[in-house]
Amino acid sequence: MVGEAVSRIDGLLKVTGTAAYATDYAIKNTAHAVIFKSAIAAGKILDIDTGAAEKAAGVLAVITHKNAPKLNEKGGIRGGALLQSPNIEFHGQHIGVVVAETFEQARYAARLVKVNYQKTDAKVDFEKHEKEAVMSKEKDKADAVRGDVEAAFQNAEFKVDEIYDTPIEHHQPMEPHATIAVWEGEKLTLYNGSQIVNGAQTAAAATLNLKPENVRIITPHIGGGFGSKGGQWANLILTAVAAKAVNRPVKLALTRQQMFNSVGLRQRNRQHLRLAATKDGKLTALAHETTTHTATTGEYIEPCGDCSKVMYDVPNSLISYRVVPMNIILPTYTRGPGKSTGSFALESAMDELAYQLKIDPIEFRLKNEPAKDPSSGKPWSSRKTVECLKEGAKAFGWEKRKLEPRSNRQGNYLIGYGVACGTYPARQRNTSAIVKLTRNGSDINASIELAASDLGTGTHTILAQTAADALGLPMNKIGVKIGDSALPPAAGSVGSVGAASFANAVNDACEKITDELIAKSGKQFFVRPTAAQLMISENTSEFQTRVDAKPPTDADKFSAHSFNANFAEVRVNDATGMVRVNRFLAATGAGKILNPKTAHSQIIGGGIWGIGMALTEESTLDPRRGNFVTRSFADYHVPSNLDIGAMETIFINEDDKIPNKLGVKGIGEVGIVGVAAAIANAVFNATGKRIRELPITPDKLL
Amino acid sequence: MRPFKYTRASDAMNAVSTVSATTSAKFLAGGTNLLDLMKEDVERPTELVDVTKLNFAQIKAANGGVSIGATAKNTDTANHPLIRQNYPLLTQAILASASGQIRNMATNGGNLNQRTRCSYFYDVAMPCNKRTPGTGCGALDGVNRNHAIFGWSEKCVATYPGDMAVALAALEATVKVQTKDGTERTIAFADYHRLPGDAPEKDNNLNHGELITSIELPKNNFADKSYYLKVRERASYAFALVSVAAALETKGNVIENVRLALGGVAHKPWRALEAEKFLKGKAATEVNFKLAAEMEMKTAKPLEYNKFKVELGRRAIARALMQAMNGGKA
Ligand SMILES: Cc1cc2nc3c(=O)[nH]c(=O)nc-3n(C[C@H](O)[C@H](O)[C@H](O)COP(=O)(O)OP(=O)(O)OC[C@H]3O[C@@H](n4cnc5c(N)ncnc54)[C@H](O)[C@@H]3O)c2cc1C
Ligand code: SF4
Repeated sequence: MVGEAVSRIDGLLKVTGTAAYATDYAIKNTAHAVIFKSAIAAGKILDIDTGAAEKAAGVLAVITHKNAPKLNEKGGIRGGALLQSPNIEFHGQHIGVVVAETFEQARYAARLVKVNYQKTDAKVDFEKHEKEAVMSKEKDKADAVRGDVEAAFQNAEFKVDEIYDTPIEHHQPMEPHATIAVWEGEKLTLYNGSQIVNGAQTAAAATLNLKPENVRIITPHIGGGFGSKGGQWANLILTAVAAKAVNRPVKLALTRQQMFNSVGLRQRNRQHLRLAATKDGKLTALAHETTTHTATTGEYIEPCGDCSKVMYDVPNSLISYRVVPMNIILPTYTRGPGKSTGSFALESAMDELAYQLKIDPIEFRLKNEPAKDPSSGKPWSSRKTVECLKEGAKAFGWEKRKLEPRSNRQGNYLIGYGVACGTYPARQRNTSAIVKLTRNGSDINASIELAASDLGTGTHTILAQTAADALGLPMNKIGVKIGDSALPPAAGSVGSVGAASFANAVNDACEKITDELIAKSGKQFFVRPTAAQLMISENTSEFQTRVDAKPPTDADKFSAHSFNANFAEVRVNDATGMVRVNRFLAATGAGKILNPKTAHSQIIGGGIWGIGMALTEESTLDPRRGNFVTRSFADYHVPSNLDIGAMETIFINEDDKIPNKLGVKGIGEVGIVGVAAAIANAVFNATGKRIRELPITPDKLL
Repeated sequence: MRPFKYTRASDAMNAVSTVSATTSAKFLAGGTNLLDLMKEDVERPTELVDVTKLNFAQIKAANGGVSIGATAKNTDTANHPLIRQNYPLLTQAILASASGQIRNMATNGGNLNQRTRCSYFYDVAMPCNKRTPGTGCGALDGVNRNHAIFGWSEKCVATYPGDMAVALAALEATVKVQTKDGTERTIAFADYHRLPGDAPEKDNNLNHGELITSIELPKNNFADKSYYLKVRERASYAFALVSVAAALETKGNVIENVRLALGGVAHKPWRALEAEKFLKGKAATEVNFKLAAEMEMKTAKPLEYNKFKVELGRRAIARALMQAMNGGKA
């Protein structure tokens, strides 16, 4: 089954509306909570009057910093806002929760709360505060220097020296962050979308001062997260606090508008990128210097320089970060963190330099292909950039591209082609799994159990495929139980580690159960029997085992990544500047593809967000007040169906058992990496205009 | 949501008197705008009178033109053969707006009265003279990218966001209204929506409680040469940065009659009268279209974040006129 394009086993549940998401659980006697938020970006609450709200119909409790229980703010919840003090750190910070019999009553009462603030000067204008940015205290964000970059630039004949800007973006998964909290004595159950089930459990327990074993997270289906459900945010804890306060189960779902300042964001990055090359197209220097903002209360920096570390063979390089704390919610992991934004700068600059050199941009990249990881000196576990570029170019019809911009016109439209590469690390993380076999006559069923998560990506399906092969059973005999912290601990659906970590653990568990069944039989076999065969031949009715799978010990000696090449054809209206992507193709080398169908969906999902990133998505802050003026899907433009043309994917065959036994590299993140640059490069090829500030809205092309 | 009373009107007069009796009462049609605003606490009616069951859903030939009912759905209006054949400009404008689902719910009356998309208006934590008179205009010194470049005042720089009304302005429709005293009055489209002036809380010249019953389209000869051009930040489901309704009537290559209205640039659909005046009697050439566009946009007063709308407006006018000449094809 592994490697076959199997449809998702949760598909029927999803299309019939019967898959239960966090707040779909019908729990008796549930009350409803609504959060209310700060109307200023910095300062302090002098007074908060909840009298009218408390008296409103149906209201059970109003919780603010004045009556909230003492929580552990260092328990691992991201972004603060736990109602522990009157201080306001950003616009829209949670300042209280109303609990009522119905959602409408709670929302109405929340509007009756009166707040008296003392405002202080808020730092919300990045343009103004950018120069205050300093070096991060995080070790991995220290300046990384190889060779002598400045000397190399001075001597260079051909160079690019430009600023690339990417705006704040929001994850905005279809399922907003939503929780049901149920207390039974000291035991707390949280139904909550969590990309890392065990991470949510430990953070909730630590913050609420509970023992981890007293907190259970249940999250079998998640309606997307894109990083915003990787760490957990205050809304999870406030649901538990509210439930405790009213001594009833409580449901709390953020509204679409509230999502903009509750669960992190992709921060704005200003990337200064410099490249130098000889006239025959050999890179001599690369400097990638990122300036960004973080919260006043904590630090997160997107690793924008990551792609620049590994993409090209360049003897002199500098990667640096500077950061300024501002009154904006804590930024966080967002699909392809650092790589999607960093690749926009790097791969645009590569295109700019290729054009200066009058070399085809594919040719230019091939000339600078590194034999080993230039940043660590480690050998690649495998790297298929060349194949991605070559096979992608062939499938896309790259030979039709003209080097000179504005040389392809169809009626009122200018047509352009662009290419850009991307990469994302491949890793396996510790994951445990149980496999249980039961037999009834010759009917054998397996249950696979681990605290993995399925964001809607296909985790259930690939684990059933893996187990089916490893046990010798058809897929419909495999039950997959995930999304529950009571199951063996697992890695998360984050950083493209999910498939590798979960599938290897399941495979190990199935191998182990087969070994144990063989041992139990006391027989010698010439051909290794399957677990299913053994259950019958040994007349076993129930058998189970557990593994604690770990990445291979040698994995660290290699540099392991997925690589891709993205191709875009755009058309630009020559009067209005509106850009459309006619065709998009991603060629990806990502190790073993467990399921080409779910993999295709992952890559086009990344591609579509990449199109949004390139053309439409931007969260805009009022630089004086600190509120987002983009506050719903009417203003925050994710691509619509009509924005998306033909989307094609090809996977380069790759057999690489170094990162993990199954050779799975992960595809969740890499799909978005390089996409925005491919489109910006295509826009240049179409119009001759180089747009270095995303998104490429019509006004920028006038 | 604040508690409110809901009734379904049995006839027009009953609807009008119920709403007239209470200043905080409102008509409810498709609800695609009003309910959103109520959920956001922007609109706070104490009483809603549902008008969707009133008998105003017809689209029919009338007085040489066509009469479209106030409660007819946007989708049905856009696709009606009388509209498609005689007023393709209106079909294009409606189909360029919102999404299929919303157009299926939205009524023509509700569409005319949809409120601005200014995000300070929507955000009750922000100052806004339109929402709460006297609190100031958040957008004036805020992010006013989507705001007006014509006809704004210090009190309000919002735009009228709709598409259908831009076409109706170009088609010189009239709005038929049932008044409090039981009579009917008609309002010329140019007089329907207002500029903000000192009273931005008033979007249009309807008196409280007056019910739109129909929109009347006069006969014209624009069907062969008209085009609705909408420039926006994604291909569908986005409000216009700038839109242009262009309609031409030519004899040979000479422009006999021309209508131009702009969307996304003012507190009401903006008739480009300067450009129209210039073009009448001239040859229908790209050069003349560009000169006309130039002339119209000269008087624009952009704000801090929407300077691009001036150049975009120029280009959009010229392009829309060209497309209209080409028979309205994209
Ligand atoms: C996400 C989104 C995107 C959109 N995009 C666009 C777009 O691109 N272009 C565009 O043009 N529109 C767009 N719209 C707006 C949409 O067209 C309007 O919401 C719709 O036309 C309103 O019609 P309705 O019948 O639902 O009105 P309602 O919401 O029911 O009412 C709106 C207002 O009209 C009043 N009213 C209703 N009927 C009458 C009547 N007969 N007489 C007097 N007053 C009346 C109501 O009291 C209320 O104040 C969008 C809406 C949404 C939600
Ligand atoms: S522009 Fe008008 S609607 Fe917007 S904030 Fe100002 S007054 Fe309110």
